[in-house]
Amino acid sequence: MTSRSMHAAALALAPSMAPPVAEPKLKVRDLKFHYDGFHALKNIRMDIAEHQVTAIIGPSGCGKSTLLRTFNRIYAIYPGLKASGSIELDGENVLDPRYSLNRLRSKVGMVFQKPVPFPMTIFENVAYGIRHHERLSKAEMETRVEQALRRAALWDEVKDKLKHNALGLSGGQQQRLCIARAIALKPEVLLLDEPTSALDPIATGRIEQLIEELKSQFTIVIVTHNMQQAARVSDQTAFMYLGELVEFGATERIFTKPSRKQTEDYITGRFG
Amino acid sequence: MDTLYLRRRLANALALILSSAATLLGLAFLAWILWATLRQGIAALDLKLFTRITADGEQGGLANAMVGSLIINLIGIAIATPIGVLAGTWLAEYARRTRLGETIRFLNDILLSAPSIVMGLFVYTIIVLPSTALTHGNTSFSGFAGGVALALIALPVIVRTTDEMLRLVPSTLREAALSLGVPQWKLTSQILLRAARSGIVTGVLLALARISGETAPLLFTAFGNNFMTLDPLDKMSSLPQVIYQYANDPGEAMHAMAWAGAFVVTLFVLLLSLASRLLFARKVSHD
Amino acid sequence: MSAIPALVAPEQRATRDAHHDRLFAGLLKACALLVLAALLGAAFATLWGGREAFHTFGWHFLVNPAWDPGNQDYGALVPVIGTLATSFIALLMAVPVSFGIALYLSEVAPRWLRTPVAAAIELLAGVPSIIYGMWGLFIFAPFFAEHIKPWLTNYLGNKPDDGHPSWVAAHVPFVGKLFASDYPFGASILTAGIVLAVMIIPFISSVMREVFQTVPTRLKESAYALGSSTWEVAWDIVLPYTRSAVIGGIFLGLGRALGETMAVTFVLGNAMELSASLLDPGASIASTIANQFSEAVGLQKSALMALAFLLFVVTFFVLLIARLMLRRLASREGR
Repeated sequence: MTSRSMHAAALALAPSMAPPVAEPKLKVRDLKFHYDGFHALKNIRMDIAEHQVTAIIGPSGCGKSTLLRTFNRIYAIYPGLKASGSIELDGENVLDPRYSLNRLRSKVGMVFQKPVPFPMTIFENVAYGIRHHERLSKAEMETRVEQALRRAALWDEVKDKLKHNALGLSGGQQQRLCIARAIALKPEVLLLDEPTSALDPIATGRIEQLIEELKSQFTIVIVTHNMQQAARVSDQTAFMYLGELVEFGATERIFTKPSRKQTEDYITGRFG
Repeated sequence: MDTLYLRRRLANALALILSSAATLLGLAFLAWILWATLRQGIAALDLKLFTRITADGEQGGLANAMVGSLIINLIGIAIATPIGVLAGTWLAEYARRTRLGETIRFLNDILLSAPSIVMGLFVYTIIVLPSTALTHGNTSFSGFAGGVALALIALPVIVRTTDEMLRLVPSTLREAALSLGVPQWKLTSQILLRAARSGIVTGVLLALARISGETAPLLFTAFGNNFMTLDPLDKMSSLPQVIYQYANDPGEAMHAMAWAGAFVVTLFVLLLSLASRLLFARKVSHD
Repeated sequence: MSAIPALVAPEQRATRDAHHDRLFAGLLKACALLVLAALLGAAFATLWGGREAFHTFGWHFLVNPAWDPGNQDYGALVPVIGTLATSFIALLMAVPVSFGIALYLSEVAPRWLRTPVAAAIELLAGVPSIIYGMWGLFIFAPFFAEHIKPWLTNYLGNKPDDGHPSWVAAHVPFVGKLFASDYPFGASILTAGIVLAVMIIPFISSVMREVFQTVPTRLKESAYALGSSTWEVAWDIVLPYTRSAVIGGIFLGLGRALGETMAVTFVLGNAMELSASLLDPGASIASTIANQFSEAVGLQKSALMALAFLLFVVTFFVLLIARLMLRRLASREGR
């Protein structure tokens, strides 16, 4: 059962109780990660709330990207990388080998640091992933592609050149295309790995705006090395250092009254 | 102290002079060879070269050799390209750090410089000899056998360029496709090969340039045919082989035709190399 | 789409995808194994073809200087020595020149000149070997016969025209014999060596240049900052850093030279007789096969196949060493 149906059932059974705290979308427990003998993630425990933006920040090499990449098991394509512990998506552990990768990838989408459009037309870029999971008629596909491009705030700029090669778009447009491509699959969770670090400030601003719009439909986890960006776009922030989750909480609190000294040092720029 | 500096300055000057001289020497030979080919070739250029066949001897031309070259080269590339691209793809995508992959990549590099005459004898043994047994007697040289021999020479070139081009594709592209749930085989065939497309085509063009000038492997496979034929199962002439034949002929007129043939081959090879260089340069600047 | 198929479908799709992935990977692997098959096939085919000769002559085949179709006596000594001699002469000339060119292009030449000159040298590398053969036969050999050979026989040979051998010919061992020749034409081992040298220069110099360019700029800059001259940076920094790859490049050129047919056949003279002089005609393995295979039958044919096998084996090992040395530098670069 999904968390929503559980929630509804709980309300139906006990309408007089105060609304319970929503089940987290992703529950991370005792997550450890190793590669080449190096212990990259140590006992991570966190709850990612639904329909919120959670930012993961920390200095270079702290493991933030590694953590993000466990959520969709993208590390599995490289030999020698091992994860243990559990990451529950709606109650099911995605690290369990029995959890189908196909299903995982259709529920959890990812956008990478460098915009990587496929060497195809703009239309094909968005349609490509859908085609693999669903059989749609031509009209249905066109609607889906338009929907995705609209939600990624790219439709107006490309509606006349859908048959053009995607490589002709600017960096910011390409990244929005990658976002459209990911959300076209209607995932529930969107993972963003430093999505604006390769973009200029204006393109960055547009994508941050987009993230704000998207969170009503998706659960978003964003890794960023830019603290100001984390402060701007996220509801919750996780601070990581040397593979450990040092502090996790509401963004406002983390940035104004951090409870750990390490967090405070990082935020005030004492190390980076 | 001064003598130390003086000696160092002299050594440096000497080295600079010698290296410049070496470069000039190299360029001089290039100019000499190209100029000779150009001069002798153009002097012997005649319409009849393209319209008449070698059977007509001194009054003849090179038409059958040119057509033969085209056919044999095409067969060679047609065989080598699919196998080479697939093999190179395996090396880059499925075997990048495995022991078998490293071994095959290493052996491929050795095959790249292997003596072409030995490759010709190999094809002689596995294609010409068995088909001679089948036809009871007459040695079955064929354009097809020539094509196979050239394919063996083109293959390692295509394997290597495909491997290198695919390795240049950023790993993020792979991850992006896989994170959409796309299977490995679709990722490789529909996205990666398309992304590396122009580099791979460059490799094919370079392989074509390389086999267009090969003579030795054709001597015992396609053998030669003084008459025009389009049948790959028939003996076939090729331009480099006829050049070899005519150069060894005592007649002056034959020598002239050999030069004309040499000029045509050189022009073709240089144009192909130029085209592939321009094609690839365009791909790089586009990024 | 109804709810239940949507739940079942991903699992079906996963199995189907895995199946397709396996088929695809299998096809690709088969093609890669064909590369292996080509090498093994070439080795076995020539060994098989040469079995009669190896069986008849045994190890003696390697040291027999005879090549007599009349008496059915064949030996590999003459072609093997010819192959080795032409290749080594070619290397002797090509390596310093290639090094000079590589040095010039990577350190000395003004930047705007580097690309066009490098491109011109690459062009030379692409010229088919039969063109070198034609140039060698019709242009260089006559030139050699008229201008270079007389000088060599008269100043270095022990049978000069005026009957008085020079000091060098009389006192330095071997020189007199090496450069004496009665043969009237330009074809000779030395001529073939020179043509071969011209052919492999662009090849070796482009490998060397690529190798020189892998030296980190910081390393060179630190040497320059200490006051080193261009030559000193090249000799003391670049060369030691790239040493094994440079040797690899030289071996690569050697491998090329050993197997070359067309550049050599025209100007070698095809004399199946051993001669002490570099200015006499000779034979190489590849030229012997090219000249005789079409008409050969029986034992002679087998002997030619045996020669091909020898050539393949020697070239294989030379290229093996070359690639190993080149990989040593590459692994240091972390590639």
